[in-house]
Amino acid sequence: MNAWAWLIQRVTAVILLGALGLHIVFLHYGHGHGGLRFDDIMIRLSSPVFIILDLLLLVCGLYHVTYGLYSIFLDFGPDVRSRVVVLASLVCVGLGLMGIGFFSLLFFK
Amino acid sequence: MFETLMVKVLRYDPENDAEPRYDDFEVPGYDNMSILDVVMHIQNYMDKTLCFRASCRVGMCGSCSMYVNGRPRLACRTQVSMLKTRNITLGPLPNFPVIRDLVVDMELFFEKWKRIKPYYMGKREITEPVVIPPGTGEREFIDDMLDCIACGACYAACSMVSMNDGFIGPAALNRAYTLIADKRDRGQRERLRVVGRTDGVWRCHTQFNCGEVCPKNIVPTRSIQSLKKRCVLSKFGIFK
Repeated sequence: MNAWAWLIQRVTAVILLGALGLHIVFLHYGHGHGGLRFDDIMIRLSSPVFIILDLLLLVCGLYHVTYGLYSIFLDFGPDVRSRVVVLASLVCVGLGLMGIGFFSLLFFK
Repeated sequence: MFETLMVKVLRYDPENDAEPRYDDFEVPGYDNMSILDVVMHIQNYMDKTLCFRASCRVGMCGSCSMYVNGRPRLACRTQVSMLKTRNITLGPLPNFPVIRDLVVDMELFFEKWKRIKPYYMGKREITEPVVIPPGTGEREFIDDMLDCIACGACYAACSMVSMNDGFIGPAALNRAYTLIADKRDRGQRERLRVVGRTDGVWRCHTQFNCGEVCPKNIVPTRSIQSLKKRCVLSKFGIFK
């Protein structure tokens, strides 16, 4: 389990490097006028490419953050009970935020 | 060379002292004087109650490691001239419980050492001496790492051990790597299971403190990174 979690942490880091870069580029450039408008967002979120990019960003970002926090917590050498409580809390928070993210992306109007 | 050295030594006897204190000594300096010479001079001529460990005097046994001017070092291999100051502060190794003065309790350190089964377990099918051609390079990395004398300097410098005394630590992980990477050894999977646990290799944050202080110039971080790679590969059924 530790090895898988560590590997996925590294893989999501690599994906985030690319996806976050693209996200920043699309957020600040390429809309051809002064600033990003609601209409631009609407057009983008009707494109499967943007939906997939944002979902990728969401899933990878949330995994990377929650496992990163859990890993920092483990560095302090907590007992097993504390580990279970913190892990369960982080999974709940992560899944909750993922649900909100999915809902926002897929049902944006 | 400084004619007189101003030496501060941390003194502490947990059974009798409420808290640690520093004692000051003025020690006459001479050419090629080592830190071990300094503490021996103090014990022989100034304060016979000073406690420290020492044995071989040539950097082989690893027993005289102590905290010298803010850094874990072997007392016998540290020349006073290397410090470039006449002010010397000596203390016990960090991350170890103090038994008395400069002597620390290494029981937990060696308990972790034992966890990874630090001895060679030859494969049963090997009956003849294994021939490792010099050109293959497969021993090069292991041979460097085998110089470890278990002095505890890396363990004392590791900030992850200071946060979490459950972490196996650089010395034991380095030893595990030398055996796991040895093709003749049959304990590879067993050791990978031990080092792959939560308090194993995953707690290392590659700060390289261990390699920075090692008196044998070993870099345990390299071994730990290689172990992480091997742990991941083993999940895909790859053992090499």
